[in-house]
Amino acid sequence: MDSRRRRKVWLGGALLLFAVAAVMMFWGQGDSGPPPAPEVNFPSRMRGPDFERAEKRRTWVMPTLDAGVAQAPAKPRDPLLAALPRGPGRTAVVIEANALRHSPLGELLMACLMRDGGKNLEQFKALSGVDPFQDLDRMVITDEGLILSGDFSKARYQELLGERVSSDHGPGARVYEAGDTALPLSDGGTRRGRMDNAVGTWNNQMLVVGRNPDEVKTVLDRMDGRGTEQGPPLLDENSTYGEMYGVLAVSQIAKLLGPGQQELAQRLVDVAQNVELHLDTSGDVAMVANVSGMDADKMTDLGKSLGGMLSMARMKAQSEGNTDLAQLLDFAKVRPDGTSFKLELAVPLEAIQQQLAWCREERKTAESQQAAP
Amino acid sequence: MTTPPPALEVQGLRKTYHRAFGRGGHEALRGMDLVVPAGSAFGLIGPNGAGKTTFIKSVLGIVRPTAGTVRVLGGSPEDPAIRARIGYLPERLHLPGTWKSPAFLATVARLKGLKPDAPGLLRLLERVGLSDAVDRRIGGYSKGMRQRLGLAAALLGDPALLVLDEPTDGIDPMGRLEVRRILQEEVRRGVTLFLNSHLLAETERVCDRVAILADGRVLREGRLEDLARGGARWRVRFAPGAQASALEAAGFVPVGAPASESKGAPGLLVEGAPAEGVYVVDAADVTVLNAALDRARASGALLVDLRREGADLEAVLLGAVGSPGVAA
Amino acid sequence: MNPVFVIAGYVLREAASRKFILAFMVGLTLVLATVALSLKLEVVDGALAATRLFGNVVRANIVSVDVALRPIFRAAAYLVFYGGILFGIVACSDFAPGLLSPGRIEHLLALPLQRWHLLAGTFLGVMTLAVGGTVYAAGGLTLIFGVKTGYWTVGPLIAGGLACVGFAAVYAVMLTTATLVRSAALCSAAGFVLLVGGILAGFRTDVSRYLEAGVGRASFDAVTLVLPRLSALAVGAADLASNTPLLPGSLGMLLGGVLVFGLGALAVGFWHFEGKDC
Repeated sequence: MDSRRRRKVWLGGALLLFAVAAVMMFWGQGDSGPPPAPEVNFPSRMRGPDFERAEKRRTWVMPTLDAGVAQAPAKPRDPLLAALPRGPGRTAVVIEANALRHSPLGELLMACLMRDGGKNLEQFKALSGVDPFQDLDRMVITDEGLILSGDFSKARYQELLGERVSSDHGPGARVYEAGDTALPLSDGGTRRGRMDNAVGTWNNQMLVVGRNPDEVKTVLDRMDGRGTEQGPPLLDENSTYGEMYGVLAVSQIAKLLGPGQQELAQRLVDVAQNVELHLDTSGDVAMVANVSGMDADKMTDLGKSLGGMLSMARMKAQSEGNTDLAQLLDFAKVRPDGTSFKLELAVPLEAIQQQLAWCREERKTAESQQAAP
Repeated sequence: MTTPPPALEVQGLRKTYHRAFGRGGHEALRGMDLVVPAGSAFGLIGPNGAGKTTFIKSVLGIVRPTAGTVRVLGGSPEDPAIRARIGYLPERLHLPGTWKSPAFLATVARLKGLKPDAPGLLRLLERVGLSDAVDRRIGGYSKGMRQRLGLAAALLGDPALLVLDEPTDGIDPMGRLEVRRILQEEVRRGVTLFLNSHLLAETERVCDRVAILADGRVLREGRLEDLARGGARWRVRFAPGAQASALEAAGFVPVGAPASESKGAPGLLVEGAPAEGVYVVDAADVTVLNAALDRARASGALLVDLRREGADLEAVLLGAVGSPGVAA
Repeated sequence: MNPVFVIAGYVLREAASRKFILAFMVGLTLVLATVALSLKLEVVDGALAATRLFGNVVRANIVSVDVALRPIFRAAAYLVFYGGILFGIVACSDFAPGLLSPGRIEHLLALPLQRWHLLAGTFLGVMTLAVGGTVYAAGGLTLIFGVKTGYWTVGPLIAGGLACVGFAAVYAVMLTTATLVRSAALCSAAGFVLLVGGILAGFRTDVSRYLEAGVGRASFDAVTLVLPRLSALAVGAADLASNTPLLPGSLGMLLGGVLVFGLGALAVGFWHFEGKDC
């Protein structure tokens, strides 16, 4: 081949190669921009909406004893926070039911609750006069029982608890002892039942469930500032961020750990004092646990052990092909900070969606069956 | 017995260097015809800008001719197989300064498709007089040593055609003798030598055929002795004591005398330093020469030396080009 | 031996004699050695528990080693990609003009090889140099962190490979430029222009949005459609190096496209050099 013919071949080849390159690059990268990088918002501090929410909840001015001395007017407080237990080794977890319900995770959970097409919910509403989706604001789980806050003005206390022994406990508060309960049925009849828990109501805003009336009264006394315990409540206003938050006793956490992690559980009990937990469900589910103790070295070692445990779990998930769990643990990290450390964990919403997909399917099926004549 | 094809055959060779964006151009070769017989030692001479470098590059396929045909060793210079039989030494060979000569030659040998032969390379380096410098970096070589290494590279693979551009440039007189000896050896082995040198004496000594190139055309081409044949002038030296008047009467002209009376070939001058007893005589043939010598001997002059005087290459070039600006 | 390989060897031998390339390799070795000696990593059950640099504790999270090393490998991938290309543009800019210089090119062209062999050999030689440097840098980094943490990954090496493909496209353009103008400075300039063009091409969709609709945007879209999408390749390299999920699309096709672009640029160089008078 002479040089002229060779040149033609090179030029033709070059044009062809450029065309092929353009097609390949177009195909390879596409012409749409990359999706936004996944971002997890770890709840680590109060933000604007949290402050606004806390501000609105400062509705209760505790009654003070008139000692004949001029006192500065008491500041309004959040009665629910005031009702929380005090002192070390106690547990209180607040679930922001209203906020959680409007979060992506709440919608998934609602799909699960409503998977019968909403029949049970309707029955509960008819029975109690309370719509959990409308009237319930917060739910607190403590080692003493349960506190529900919201608007319970339409609650049918008399129909439900009228047969029990009850007594007033301060202004606006009433305590019902354990006893029989009449449950009205949809056909107009009633069904009798027995509840072993004592119940307290407070100004149509709170519902306190305890093991006995004394526990319920203790909670109600804290609300009204009549409590005998010393120290502040487990959670102060500046810790009310996230859709779920609270303080867990290390002994409670140790019980949650499996039998294979007893060594870690014991170290946790020995070294840590308490664990403050915050959960954000505004996007992917992100959790921050602030573990605090007394000894910085021991806390650092504990943090390393926890980090190692999470890493091993992640590697195991990877090796077993459990990509969801591996992805979950991808965000896991421990942030040491002297005598405390923060443990951050996140669950991609997509992973939860996949796990709870069956709820959505069942709900659709139930709704379509209800719609059919 | 068949006649071997010419080592180099060029017909109607034209080369025009075009400027960018078609703004005119420079015509370096204007229809050049040349045949270099196989086995000859061919010299190319001409003034600066005559087109010699363009011609050599065209012959080697480095420059693409605008028109005309070039056949080298019976084939096209674009054919790598043909170029494998050519040894080329460019005028300004750029050598890698950090390398050593055996490594450089080994690379050239590989590019020529030759099998690795380290002892052969060392022999070649010894042949060009670089055996003492094999362990030195090329960057430390003198100009002459670089030329010798370039020559060694050209000689790699026993080429059938050697194209050498100023092969003795920068080489000392003793080195030139060595290079000349090597080139003559190659020619004796049947290699065709195509030499471009501004040292006309070098060309004269090595080549048997010469072409004069000027303004992109071949002005004269032929055997050196034919081109340099001066006509009928002889240089004669008589023993001291010869009668000058008698010799002049016999037609002998002392060297250094005015040339106006000379009947020699155009361009020939009876010049040189006046020397006692040295004369020139014009004789159309040997009969006339012997008659003149007889007359001189009759006057008592004793003949010591006699040789035919021809034109040297410089004179041939000057005669052909008619310009004092002579160079290779 | 194939003349292409001989020319590649010629270029490599020339490169080995370049003082600043040697200095770069020495510098790279020193950096790797410094990192190896000054960095102490404490690993507990696969989690990076503590980091000490020059004896000082670096405050960092306790996370899985591979997660902790992600930003380092990601940064290293970008450094190798863009830093490598930039160094390559500067360091290799005069190989081709040098080879095409008077006194050398005539000698080479008179030898029994095709003209394209010269360019292909130069390209191969420079790419061998690039691959060698990349393997040394990325391999060294992988080795150091592998030994110190027990976490072994080929991600950085693969990312280095992607960087080499990116540089191949850039150098092909530089080589073609050298056949047009025998100037190291202009070769470098061509390399820089293509690098910038390649970065823009990778973000062409985003950039195009900011241009006013009309001839300008259409021209930008048309030009960047052909240019090698170097920034997209760099992102892919960083993703691979840090073992993070890749962006949608096919990295293989993107990589192939950039490589084919380089071959196209090289073919243009062959075309021009074939008809060039030297």
